[in-house]
Amino acid sequence: MAKKKLSDSLVKELAEEVKEWGSMKQTGVSLKHMMNFGGSSKNLLISAQFVHKELPIRIARRVIELENLPYGLSSKNAVLQVRDWYLDSFRDLRSYPEIKDKNDDLKFTQMVKMIKVRHNNVVPMMALGVKQLKKERPQFDYKDLKEVHQFLDRFYLSRIGIRMLIGQHVALHDPNPLPNCVGYIHTKMSPLEVVRDASEDARSICLREYGSAPEVNIYGDPNLTFPYVPSHLHMMVFELVKNSARAVQERFMDSDDDAPPIRIIVAGGLEDVTIKISDEGGGIPRSGLPKIFTYLYSTAENPLDEDFTTTGAATACTMAGYGYGIPISRLYARYFGGDLQILSMEGYGTDAFLHLLRLGDSQEPLP
Amino acid sequence: MAAKKLYESFSKELIEEVHRWGSMKQTGVSLKYMMEFGSKPTPRNLLISSQFLHKELPMRIARRVIDLQTLPYGLSLKPAVLKVRDWYLDSFRDLRSFPDIKDENDELEFTKMINLVKVRHNNVVPMMALGVQQLKKDLHPKIDYKDLDEIHQFLDRFYMSRIGIRMLIGQHVALHDPNPPPDCVGYIHTKMSPLEVARDASEDARSICLREYGSAPKVNIYGDPNFTFLYVPTHLHLMVFELVKNSLRAVEERFVDSDKVPPPVRIIVADGLEDVTIKISDEGGGIPRSGLPKIFTYLYSTARNPLDEHSDLDTIDLATVSTLAGYGYGLPISRLYARYFGGDLQIISMEGYGTDAYLHLSRLGDSQEPLP
Repeated sequence: MAKKKLSDSLVKELAEEVKEWGSMKQTGVSLKHMMNFGGSSKNLLISAQFVHKELPIRIARRVIELENLPYGLSSKNAVLQVRDWYLDSFRDLRSYPEIKDKNDDLKFTQMVKMIKVRHNNVVPMMALGVKQLKKERPQFDYKDLKEVHQFLDRFYLSRIGIRMLIGQHVALHDPNPLPNCVGYIHTKMSPLEVVRDASEDARSICLREYGSAPEVNIYGDPNLTFPYVPSHLHMMVFELVKNSARAVQERFMDSDDDAPPIRIIVAGGLEDVTIKISDEGGGIPRSGLPKIFTYLYSTAENPLDEDFTTTGAATACTMAGYGYGIPISRLYARYFGGDLQILSMEGYGTDAFLHLLRLGDSQEPLP
Repeated sequence: MAAKKLYESFSKELIEEVHRWGSMKQTGVSLKYMMEFGSKPTPRNLLISSQFLHKELPMRIARRVIDLQTLPYGLSLKPAVLKVRDWYLDSFRDLRSFPDIKDENDELEFTKMINLVKVRHNNVVPMMALGVQQLKKDLHPKIDYKDLDEIHQFLDRFYMSRIGIRMLIGQHVALHDPNPPPDCVGYIHTKMSPLEVARDASEDARSICLREYGSAPKVNIYGDPNFTFLYVPTHLHLMVFELVKNSLRAVEERFVDSDKVPPPVRIIVADGLEDVTIKISDEGGGIPRSGLPKIFTYLYSTARNPLDEHSDLDTIDLATVSTLAGYGYGLPISRLYARYFGGDLQIISMEGYGTDAYLHLSRLGDSQEPLP
């Protein structure tokens, strides 16, 4: 049963420890640094020691934020559950002894892996908390809840960082890594290839839902590669193409005309790799554009229901497969110094511009 | 010789009057209102319009005088800026000394007078640009365009206000035209075809490109030829001309030493419920993300200033004036035109590929003038 306030619990020392670690300075890492930090035994030890010190700092910050949300969001059951997950993880990390050798590291790696699994459902759980808030205050518009948006942006961005650090450390232990891969990072990722895969996945979803799916035409240099995290790019492109396909289907559903294809251009510059995804799905009015980046108007179906049990056959891996739409895709883009911009022509269609830094030397944003 | 400070050559009463009028509340007008009002240019309506302008213009002009006097980094003291201030002061005086407008004759005299005011201010943009250039010379070379944010914001407000003043004057003067073209109310075309304006502006831009490079990429335009809406064609022409000009130049420069045929510039005209959106896409190689904010600044204008350091600021001949009128001052001013009637201009680029410009024009026409 989730406890209401930290101070009500028996562990006052924990509260003080959280406060202490929550005010320590975080250390950001760049993609380049992560990539150059391969999986030698010496490095694994250093990595474990870094993660051992860094994670509690980041996690403690989030606990403090979760306790201080506006509009009573902090006391919603779903939010308390998330706070407890973070607290448990903080405790696990702080109670783990110093890592001195390979065995310590292996056990530590198992432990942080479990932490990652514990936090798998944070996004839909937080969304549930926000839903609970909206129910109580139906008069609130997305504009009124700016503070909540900003919190969620920081919170989810931090989560991306934490999961990247853990995932990368765990992946470095893989005895048989794929060629050109350092953990999650592919040093020679072909954006064209990832875009192709993600588009096909999006088309499958569309086919299942509508019985048909628009074509996706992709233009770009097949030899262009750069270091990036393919799973991140896959997630973002999947999300954007899914939205485009849906818009086009809905627009041409009752029409005799063929649905126009979605067009994707992959461009390589000196600073950026830019991926533009264009559709003729009818566009979004200028006044409606700010809404698409908010969390409070997510059109995605929440895989969790009111009593926190997963609905139907939804499993952890299904939920992991769905980004929570556009705002989270933008966070992924920004995580490594990129960006996501969406422009629309009402009555015609929408263009999404995904900018990815080519050099990988941008440090993690640390909200 | 432009006097340095206001009190050095102008009377105390004038200074006080400027301050008084500069703090009065401005009244904005919407495109729709201008159209409805101007559709019946009866002598009575023209009288009302002139009386409104007689009160409104001095307020807007006085505000700008005060702004011009209080610019940061010593910009206010640059000779070119003092010249502009003097133009605004002279116009303020002309308006304030004009007697009450009581009949048709008064009204005709007034209309002539404000038309001259408009002509007096024809070269404000290049003159201010010269002032900024004079400032840049004096500034520490390490100062970057980012540091001069205050000046950018001032120039945005200043030029936006100028668009409004010239629209009000121009519209009033145009309403006196005894033979207006069909469907037109002054500067406003009630059934403007954006496709047609885009075509004309593109052709003008291609001519410039041809003259400069000996060739010009094609421009393909897609959109509903029957679609029309309420707008000011000269404004749209200016914006599209500027954007297509930039696109053509980028494509030419990229393909100048190449055997390949330069890819066409593509324009899409889309009509929605709220907006008419015009997208201008080129494959001119794009702009790096880090360089994008610069293109909307005034301090890094790549346009050649027709006035230079050696121009005698007092004697600008007719030839220079007409040359100057042909140049928009690029993207930042196009964006102001777009925003003037509630629209916007956004530019996104794909480094290594090309650039897209999105021109949003509010379809409803009920957006009130922004009054900085």
